[in-house]
Amino acid sequence: MSAAKTVDAGAPAVVPAPSADAGTRTPVRRRRRRRNAPIPLRLTAHVLLIGGAVVALAPFVWMVATSFKQPQDVFTPTPHLLPTDARTGQWAGTFANYLQVLDLGGFAVALLNSVIVAVVLIPGKLLLDALAAYAFARIPFPGRNALFLVVLATIMVPGIALLIPKVFVTQELGMGDSLTGVIVPSLVSAFDIFLLRQFFLTLPGELEEAATIDGAGRLRIFWSVALPLAKPALAVVTITSFIFHWNELLWPLVILSDQDKYTLPLALQALAAGRVAQPHLVMAGAVIAVMPVVGIFLVFQRRILDGIQLTGLKS
Amino acid sequence: MNGVRPGSRHRRRRDALAGLAFTAPAMLHTLVFMLVPAGAALYFSFTEWDMISPARWVGLRNYREILFDSDLYPDFWKSIRVTALYALLSVPASLVTGFVQAYLIDLLRRGQAFYRLVLYLPVITAEAAVAAIWKWLYDPRFGLVNAGLGVLGVRGPDWLGTPGVVVPALALIAAWQSGTAMLIFLAGLKGIPRTYYEAAEVDGANRWQQLGRITLPLLRPTTFYLVVTGVIAALQVFGIVYVLFGGNAGPERSGLSYVLHLYLFGYRNGAMGAASAMSVVLFVTVLLVTVAQFRLIPRQYEG
Repeated sequence: MSAAKTVDAGAPAVVPAPSADAGTRTPVRRRRRRRNAPIPLRLTAHVLLIGGAVVALAPFVWMVATSFKQPQDVFTPTPHLLPTDARTGQWAGTFANYLQVLDLGGFAVALLNSVIVAVVLIPGKLLLDALAAYAFARIPFPGRNALFLVVLATIMVPGIALLIPKVFVTQELGMGDSLTGVIVPSLVSAFDIFLLRQFFLTLPGELEEAATIDGAGRLRIFWSVALPLAKPALAVVTITSFIFHWNELLWPLVILSDQDKYTLPLALQALAAGRVAQPHLVMAGAVIAVMPVVGIFLVFQRRILDGIQLTGLKS
Repeated sequence: MNGVRPGSRHRRRRDALAGLAFTAPAMLHTLVFMLVPAGAALYFSFTEWDMISPARWVGLRNYREILFDSDLYPDFWKSIRVTALYALLSVPASLVTGFVQAYLIDLLRRGQAFYRLVLYLPVITAEAAVAAIWKWLYDPRFGLVNAGLGVLGVRGPDWLGTPGVVVPALALIAAWQSGTAMLIFLAGLKGIPRTYYEAAEVDGANRWQQLGRITLPLLRPTTFYLVVTGVIAALQVFGIVYVLFGGNAGPERSGLSYVLHLYLFGYRNGAMGAASAMSVVLFVTVLLVTVAQFRLIPRQYEG
């Protein structure tokens, strides 16, 4: 679902302010001088939040710990954090679960499929969404408002309600049970068009005027002037789209049946659904599925969190 | 030659062409993958259709059957009850957790970024992985949750194996994923002008009074936004129950969410007409929930 835009009473509903140099850290929100809470209160807050952080992280720690355990060391009456031999207490960590999952569990293939989907889908989506958003924001043309209204209306439609006919259309177009069928129907996001349009609206018009006088056409202006300026907004869309599509389960699930085309969430689902409980394998698979997103999140955390805070989240 | 003034007819024509060309791919895509499916969903809901042989028009029969024929669709109302209960428990769970987290974080001078980061981590984790991890955490004998309760002297239930416990267990997972609410509340808190608190302090209001009289009332638009989006998302819960329970939908089908039910009927049983009718019902419900919530809350703030 996607949602309305802003929550912050004062702030405008746009992605981080345009800055020519995306590398330097621009303080996007001006920090209001804080009213200092008394020290005992701050300490209490820290204690409670550390508790919260432990609860938030424990499942991940347990996932990683289990993924390195040998099968016979997994089921212990008292939980052991480190992968040790259940009887002797000796170190017994192993990479075998990962190798087994990658090979027999099909995770190597699934990883490749997920990468293919991300590498094709994200740039394609950025281009189509940005083109449309730019036109909606900067080019006066007949029917613009009507078309934009259609885009806005589709934001409101819960995706699941259209699932069945969407599968049907995708199959009719000859894209059933293929990665193309995973990618193509997701190539345009109304929410991202809306977001990028809001950003393009904030660009100063003088740059375009100057480029026009130099004889540049609209496409040229879009590519050489508008897109480079839109880097901060494009970054937010890129990262949130990557996280969303990397994690997506339902659409690949309904469009794919051939196991060799499974993406990571599907492979993980298939593994977890196994009749025999094999937490050591499932957790190794979960680590493989989760790691890229966590890595990207840690690297770009500031940008992601600020972006989500300012735009509301599509989930 | 090119002596045309900007704003001339020539330029307007070129703009019209450029505008249509730029939006054409996105609009074509919207037509094929949104508008046509929307029309088709409505059409197929009035037909009997298994996706192989051609659809046959049956009028309102699908709607009548899913709503009232408990022999053909014994679990339809059950799935609605499961979903409603899930929304009722999971939305407050994640909102309250998220608010407390945001309020505490906002008190700090240092470490805000760290807590924000850590508490958001569960949100960016794939549903399939979340379900896989929690299935293992909730394991009645070897899971971390019951081991932790054991330390406190509490004998934990079989979380995913006891019908009455399944939805509360799902709501706990939602509380664990409170990062979205935390983040949005935090933005809301930072948007409250500092002068309000200063004035309250001058008047001798303590922290609790400030919380009740200033913070919470001023966060109502934020809360409202989170309730609406949270309920809409909860009505569509699928991935987590599917990975946890598969086609069984848990003990006594206690994890049978509306969308899981829809999925099982459409894709496992090939009853596409009925599944389309369920989709339309879902769509109308989401719409009604949105409208109702906008109506219930007086429009005194401009968000």
